[in-house]
Amino acid sequence: MSAADTSSEQRLQAENERLRARVAALETELVETQARTDAVVGEWQERAYWLDRWHLDLNALMRRPGASELREALRAVRAVMWRLKRLKRRLMDS
Amino acid sequence: MKSVAAIVPVKDGERYLQELLAALAREGVDEILVIDSGSRDRSLEIARAAGVDLLEIEPGEFGHGRTRNLGAERTRGELICFLTQDATPCPGWLEAYREAFALDQRVGAAYGPHLPRADTSPMIARELTEFFAGFESRPSDGDRENDAHENGASASAAHAPVLQRQGDPAFLSNVNACYARACWEEIRFRDVAYSEDQAFGTDLLAAGWLKVYQPRAAVLHAHDYGAIEFMRRYFDEYRGLRETTGHVEPFGTIAAARHVRAAVTGDRRWAAEQGLSGAELARVTARATIHHGGRRVFSALGSHAARIPRPVSSLLSLEGRSESTTPGQSTDSRSSAAAPAESPLQAPKRLPQLLPHDDYSVVTDVWRDGPTPLLEPVPGMAERERLRLAMVIPPFARGSGGHNTLFQIFSRLERRGHSCSVWLADYHNQMREVWPAVLRHDINEFFASFQGPVYRGFDQWQGADVVIATGWQTVHAALRLDQCRARAYVVNDHEPEFFATSTERVLAEDTYRHDLHCIAASPWLRDLLIDRYAASADAFQLGVEQEIYRPRPVQRRTDTVVYYARHSTARRAVPIGLLALTELHRKRPDLRIVLFGSPDVMYAAFPYESMGVLSPTQLSWLYSEATVGLCLSLTNFSLMPKEMLACGLPCVELAGVSAESIFGSDGPLELAPLDPRAIADTLAGLLDDPGRREQRSREGIEFVASHTWEHATDEVEAGLRHALRERELAASVS
Repeated sequence: MSAADTSSEQRLQAENERLRARVAALETELVETQARTDAVVGEWQERAYWLDRWHLDLNALMRRPGASELREALRAVRAVMWRLKRLKRRLMDS
Repeated sequence: MKSVAAIVPVKDGERYLQELLAALAREGVDEILVIDSGSRDRSLEIARAAGVDLLEIEPGEFGHGRTRNLGAERTRGELICFLTQDATPCPGWLEAYREAFALDQRVGAAYGPHLPRADTSPMIARELTEFFAGFESRPSDGDRENDAHENGASASAAHAPVLQRQGDPAFLSNVNACYARACWEEIRFRDVAYSEDQAFGTDLLAAGWLKVYQPRAAVLHAHDYGAIEFMRRYFDEYRGLRETTGHVEPFGTIAAARHVRAAVTGDRRWAAEQGLSGAELARVTARATIHHGGRRVFSALGSHAARIPRPVSSLLSLEGRSESTTPGQSTDSRSSAAAPAESPLQAPKRLPQLLPHDDYSVVTDVWRDGPTPLLEPVPGMAERERLRLAMVIPPFARGSGGHNTLFQIFSRLERRGHSCSVWLADYHNQMREVWPAVLRHDINEFFASFQGPVYRGFDQWQGADVVIATGWQTVHAALRLDQCRARAYVVNDHEPEFFATSTERVLAEDTYRHDLHCIAASPWLRDLLIDRYAASADAFQLGVEQEIYRPRPVQRRTDTVVYYARHSTARRAVPIGLLALTELHRKRPDLRIVLFGSPDVMYAAFPYESMGVLSPTQLSWLYSEATVGLCLSLTNFSLMPKEMLACGLPCVELAGVSAESIFGSDGPLELAPLDPRAIADTLAGLLDDPGRREQRSREGIEFVASHTWEHATDEVEAGLRHALRERELAASVS
């Protein structure tokens, strides 16, 4: 085998090793990403337990006619309550 | 390229006919046939001027199915398109149909959406758009991932053709449809008064053909009648549906009012989105109310047309047809020709499609199309420290021993750093009311701590290094999952033996024949899988929760036999156990017998104490004070004898099944043949011999000490890596 052939084969081997290492690194990255995703979904499911237990789909609920209006009304009531509280505090302070 | 014929039945269709024929010519249709059934407008003149083939028939000869069959017979195209006289193909229509038929050789028909014309009323425009949107494909997982990067991905997925097979909607519309000639020749349109296309859709799927919804094969089309005409049309439509499919439109005042209110709200929203407001919006609201209200009433009337006097029926029908048939009295000439003159058979009851798909449809998918191909193996993947593992489980309940085994192991795999997810395969929708977060919570409460996600079904499937089937009900679903490097099967028992001769038994046996690498819950089970099914298999030993199952500080009695009498589990051979205890009681009437494991009262020929279903901790106390335990299994060895031994309780099991593969024939367990008297004698032998009991107790504790869940997890993990290694090996050989 000539020196040129040997050199070419060594280059191929080196390239092969490099590619294998790259694949291994990408695989590790994939597992880590998946693990993070699993953890996030798992944590979200932990939080959503009572919603799922009571079969509450808040997105579907808020799409129903009147839901946005109800929300706006509650916000308005809340704003009034806050203002009354602030006023009461001010009166008490003065 | 396949030749294409287009057939257009026409009667007084001058309004759009010229536009339609020009569009067909533009699309490059090879053969156009217009069938006129007595037009009195310029339709004939338009057809002749367009230079298309023209066939004139008497108005009385027309039938929706009959006339289309005639058209197909008169043409030669390999693909046969049917259009109505007011449906104009949009650019790219024919190319889209060709693409649909190229999807699969078994595609027998394809249909496309009906787009509203510019002057179509909001009710119809919205209905058409939303109706056809319902057939579009949801974006695939890949598209969902891409959505984050590329907003157009989901839109392109939504416009992809959708293959439909048996179990999918049977809808088909001859307003705009295309058929493979071979399929039409096999099925042909029924000679029915209405809905011949729907009947064809049903027959086609039942015969094993596929159909395709092609969103890009669109036509401009709308039936924009006046309010009364609409109602009469719905009368015809629902009468036709009753006659062809047996569908009966329900009618209830409150439900109808709710429906109308929701529909009118939808129309108003639609109209507002189109820029209508003020008086125009008020007009739309009034029109929509009349439209939807009339529709509910007339569709219900149409469903019951057979009971309506003929003159009234004629008035209600837009077609002026007075006669009606019940589903059992189909006007289909094929069925009436085949029936004897006076058949003793009563009219059959025709039922609409009651399920979205059959419970075991995934099994037929596997049998028809085979398992989804696995990903190419990556060198060294079996040795990687962390793996992506997805476990597919069957439905569960508190106390499920098999699920406890799975989660004892899976939770430990998760703690070792593997990425773990759980997927519920629920053929019979047993857990349809249990949403994913509750499933996850229950797994944590019933079995073991699990931090990963739990999914119902496979809509959000993401792929895995190893997908793990865990019961016969999960295997076929696991075989259809894509993006996997290997598949493994954790086998807790030889499940075909759970069933008498039945579909379930056949399917359970089938699960061992798909080259999944099995990880069996005993050497006996492993050997059975290898010998009987030539499966590739490893074994693992069930672990014992040593911190719970240990001798408790309580005086051990000398007069008590405890028996796991779970009668609802047939493989537990409870009648044999009760016979053995009857025999024992006859010899020793003073013996205290305790039954547990079932909430039910057991009818026994001896007095006993019942403990019902006990928690693990309670069991450990019971085992610690009893003299001898009895637990039988006709199939694979279970955890219970090990747990008894761990508490220092000598235990009797069946010889000749699976126990020898774990304990040997002279191990810490007393083995008895499947004979009540022999079992009674073995129990009596232990009761009579305190020395032997002491020896068995000591040996049992020593033996079980090494049987931990950590060890079981080691063995299962090795089995999963073995599955990956086999894939690497297979790839290197090929």
